[in-house]
Amino acid sequence: MSHPEQETLQDLAAAYALGALSPDEARRFEAFLAGSPEAQREVAEYREVAALLALGGPEAAPSPDLRERVLSRMRAPSARPAAAALRRRSPQWGALAAGLVAAVGLGFGYVQLREARDLRGELGRTTQRLATTSELLTEREATLNAIFEPGVQMFQLTASGDPDPGIQLFWDQQRHRAIVHGFKLKPVPEGRAYQLWFIKDGAPVPSVTFKPEPTGHVRVEQIPVPADGEVSAAAVTVEPESGSTQPTSPILLVGPLKRS
Amino acid sequence: MNESQATTSDPTRTSRQPWLMRSTAPGPTATGDTDLIARAAGGDERAMAELYDRYGHVLHAVAYRIVGQRADAEEVVLDTFAQAWREATRFEAARGSVAGWLTTIARSRALDLVRARSRRERITATAAAERPDSAPAMGGWRVDPSSGVDHAERRQQVQLALEALSPPQRRAIELAFFEGLSQSEIAELLQEPLGTIKTRVRLGMQKLRECLRPFYFERGR
Repeated sequence: MSHPEQETLQDLAAAYALGALSPDEARRFEAFLAGSPEAQREVAEYREVAALLALGGPEAAPSPDLRERVLSRMRAPSARPAAAALRRRSPQWGALAAGLVAAVGLGFGYVQLREARDLRGELGRTTQRLATTSELLTEREATLNAIFEPGVQMFQLTASGDPDPGIQLFWDQQRHRAIVHGFKLKPVPEGRAYQLWFIKDGAPVPSVTFKPEPTGHVRVEQIPVPADGEVSAAAVTVEPESGSTQPTSPILLVGPLKRS
Repeated sequence: MNESQATTSDPTRTSRQPWLMRSTAPGPTATGDTDLIARAAGGDERAMAELYDRYGHVLHAVAYRIVGQRADAEEVVLDTFAQAWREATRFEAARGSVAGWLTTIARSRALDLVRARSRRERITATAAAERPDSAPAMGGWRVDPSSGVDHAERRQQVQLALEALSPPQRRAIELAFFEGLSQSEIAELLQEPLGTIKTRVRLGMQKLRECLRPFYFERGR
């Protein structure tokens, strides 16, 4: 009992795995969980127990066609896993370029039949779209290159009980820089922003503030990471737009940073 | 505090077993589900089909228990696999098994669905819905040959383990998991002290853990 508070929090592992903590308790427990591998393993095992609970109730088989419906829904283009969507990007670009060439070719064919002005307008808009998208692609390729550098590790910051929302933190240990990619983040009120914290030697170290796009996404690059000391976790709170030196609101997302 | 008091009687504190190493260092037989989810993350539909064959019935059971109606339970299963497919890249083996992850998603989606209805309406519907013994049997489900534990055996062990709990322990755990109630809400509902509910949940889950460890879904766990 060298650390009574820790003992108490450890006892919440079962209730956490069951989803039986209040939001405040869950946030407090997650902050503890981030720095306690033992509690993480305990939660993982209690989740195994929870996964079995339904077998103690009445049996009810789903319709025989449910399997096919599950697979059909997965085949919808919008349902692709992130990695697969990424892999398929190049062929899409190929198709877009081919489409543009085709459009130009068709354009010359139609010049004699239609007003050249309309075609030039269309071509101009398409070229503009292509330029904008190329710029975006170049920017994203630079991000991808940064993520795939040797020595870059990814960590997940999550909210309680549910996979949404989430933040992926890519940590480049050689350059002491990080990239944050957030998704499904709720908008913040006027004058407020999300703030990232590194938990170093058990204390929060303030980092960048950011606001998500209306889609809930955010990407922040070139984030300095504390170089010395034991950085055990990262967390996110909502703070004034200018940032805080100490957290002033409960932790919204948190995750351990176990460096290899 | 009640939790601190209860800690001193925690029977597992001095007998923690080697399972502690498993989630971070899966054994040679523990790769099945994790491999499947990795393949799914790369866009392999067959991997998701295999996960459905392994866990579709369990997720349906979780959902059915929460939503009380087959059509809604199936919708939850559809949503669960769609979400797992989209977010397979985010699965982290160190945080638990694939089965545990899928169950968490299914429970969350089922509770969302229930919350979308009024709680009162649901209680009425659950009481009047298909009676447990009139629900179709699960004969159509394949048993995963790699698991080493067949469905009937696992189910029987879960029922025995639940029967071994005191009725108040079982009720507290089931209210939390299937009704989505926090311990405070359970205490309020049952008009019992919060500390009592916390102790029931904790001791009940410890007991289930001891009984069910050989029957976890994850290979090698």
